[in-house]
Amino acid sequence: MTWADAVLFAARGLVRRRSRAVLTLVAVALAAALLTALMMITETGRSRVLDQLSRGGPLAGIRVDAAVDDAEVDRVVNLPDVAAVVPIATTRLLVTADGAAVAAGKGAGEDQAVPAVPGGTDLEGIVGVDFRQADNLPITVLAGRLPEAQTATEVVVDQRWLERRGVAEGEEAGVVGSEVMLGAVREGAGGRHDPLAVRWTRAIVVGAVAQEAAPGGVLAPLPVVLDARAWTGGGEGATYEGLFVVARGLNQVDEARQQLAGLGLPSEAPENLIASVLRYLHVVELVLASIGAIALVIAALGIANALLAAVRERRREIGVLKAIGARDRDVRRIFLLEAVALGLGGGLAGTVLGWAIARGVGAVVNDYLSAQGLAGVTVALPMAVLSGGILGSAVLALLAGTVPAVRAARLPARDAMGEG
Amino acid sequence: MEVRNLSHRYETSDRPLVVLDGLSFSIPPGGYVALTGASGAGKSTLLSILGGLEPPQSGHVHVGGHDLHALGGDELAAYRRSTVGFVFQHFGLLDTLTASENVEVALALAGARAGARRRRARELLAAVGLADRAAHRPGALSGGERQRVAIARALANRSRLVLADEPTGNLDERAATQVLDLLEQLPAERGCTFVVVTHDRTVAGRAPSRLHLAEGRFSTP
Ligand SMILES: Nc1ncnc2c1ncn2[C@@H]1O[C@H](COP(=O)(O)OP(=O)(O)OP(=O)(O)O)[C@@H](O)[C@H]1O
Ligand SMILES: [Mg+2]
Repeated sequence: MTWADAVLFAARGLVRRRSRAVLTLVAVALAAALLTALMMITETGRSRVLDQLSRGGPLAGIRVDAAVDDAEVDRVVNLPDVAAVVPIATTRLLVTADGAAVAAGKGAGEDQAVPAVPGGTDLEGIVGVDFRQADNLPITVLAGRLPEAQTATEVVVDQRWLERRGVAEGEEAGVVGSEVMLGAVREGAGGRHDPLAVRWTRAIVVGAVAQEAAPGGVLAPLPVVLDARAWTGGGEGATYEGLFVVARGLNQVDEARQQLAGLGLPSEAPENLIASVLRYLHVVELVLASIGAIALVIAALGIANALLAAVRERRREIGVLKAIGARDRDVRRIFLLEAVALGLGGGLAGTVLGWAIARGVGAVVNDYLSAQGLAGVTVALPMAVLSGGILGSAVLALLAGTVPAVRAARLPARDAMGEG
Repeated sequence: MEVRNLSHRYETSDRPLVVLDGLSFSIPPGGYVALTGASGAGKSTLLSILGGLEPPQSGHVHVGGHDLHALGGDELAAYRRSTVGFVFQHFGLLDTLTASENVEVALALAGARAGARRRRARELLAAVGLADRAAHRPGALSGGERQRVAIARALANRSRLVLADEPTGNLDERAATQVLDLLEQLPAERGCTFVVVTHDRTVAGRAPSRLHLAEGRFSTP
């Protein structure tokens, strides 16, 4: 008996016992729908949470607060669980509140001495990073953009700077485009107000950010900070004041920190909170998936039950099939095909249904979120859920069909003579 | 067909039930034998052993070139497929399939291709006078018509041995005569050996030779 014949035969068997087949199919479909919907909803929730959390920078970020030089940076780069390393240099410079206040500095370039400094200037923490690696840093652009990595005349200001100047939330755009003067004060000279000891540099504030890379008020390209430090004469020995290290993954954060400690570098990873949030989400996901899987197993037991009943009812028919020459394996194949057809059909219908349910739930959630003034969620159907729902149902059905199929195949051919 | 010293027993809860007790007989190719006996005498059991539905427990059963004692499960299936055609009292049609498909299943099991299958089924249904009922399911056919479909199926794979267990048991006299006519004519035309189990005297009377089973042995009625 060829597969095509067996398929035809199995199909006829299902069609004859239509109501039983439909009931079994509905059970499988509902279970698959439940599983799909739960998986989609948890997946949506997870990606939403991740999305929110990762606004603050890489989730597996680690801060190293220690003086390091290039050789040490290289060693950190080569640690097994480290994916990226961003060196951070910091210094303290005079920053004018507004470029307009430095009247004499107009048109001045670098190394331009400024004759008079208004009282509004203040020493400000300047954080220097390589902006090409901005994706690996906990920096969120609030307004404007980040500086070009190569330029010496663009900076961004951070939340501390904005706070000190009383810039309200939502008004960050107002500082974009303003001009600041950065003044590096030579150490040992006549103090911070000695105009001759200050080297002034002009810069444009191209954006406002929230950042957790290092404490400071202004974020500038790395060369700006290194240059300024060379002038002030500070920072002898070590090149950088710290590192921002990204571990290979959330679960590697602890290992990466141990490896850093091995190099004598203290570190902190406040984002470990995220790891526990994700772990908690994972547990929720597992629980919901198990509920769906249990439903699917119950549906599979339904398949087994329906097929066992069919085998009982069809003893004589199976005998006749054997009497006209069917081998045990032909009979087995027919029943397995019936089981798989129920599983596949139910899985397919159920996955579509589950998708619709998840979309419906998503729409309700979006209504709620937008009423709360929050961004909505997008409910996507991941391939894993799609194929898992359909294939999983088919495989479970195949397993469920095994007992009835084997039992049918073992029925004695002599039953063909039976009166049943 | 050569049967020597065939015994068969069923294990029941209290004691073994000896159904066939050292039977020996032979039927020449193309022979036609009626098998009679009281209910429970073991007629169906003997038929199912000859047809390879049950392996013989002891003794020798040779049919055509096959030693049934030596055949395993799949080989017995192949033997049934290629050598034997069954006709049952209950017709044994698969009621989800049409008359034509019922004949075709036997051909499909023997590996025939779809086109050849359909042609041969049409031929056989015409031979039993049911050419115009090919697309009907058993539910739409009378008892006699169903049994004629079963005869067509029994002959599908050019079997050498046709075994009929009470083929007319569920039929009225006219249908029974028609079925019996076909059962005598078609196997004979094809040189088949034909064994019919019956307790109907007129049916048994039509056979040139008769075997009567009683208490596990052959006797004269
Ligand atoms: N699987 C079995 N287990 C136990 N006993 C069986 C089994 N099959 C048949 N028998 C017994 O074997 C005996 C012969 O059965 P068989 O069906 O061959 O009789 P029969 O001659 O065909 O009877 P009938 O004319 O009523 O069809 C009966 O007594 C029956 O009860
Ligand atoms: Mg009988």
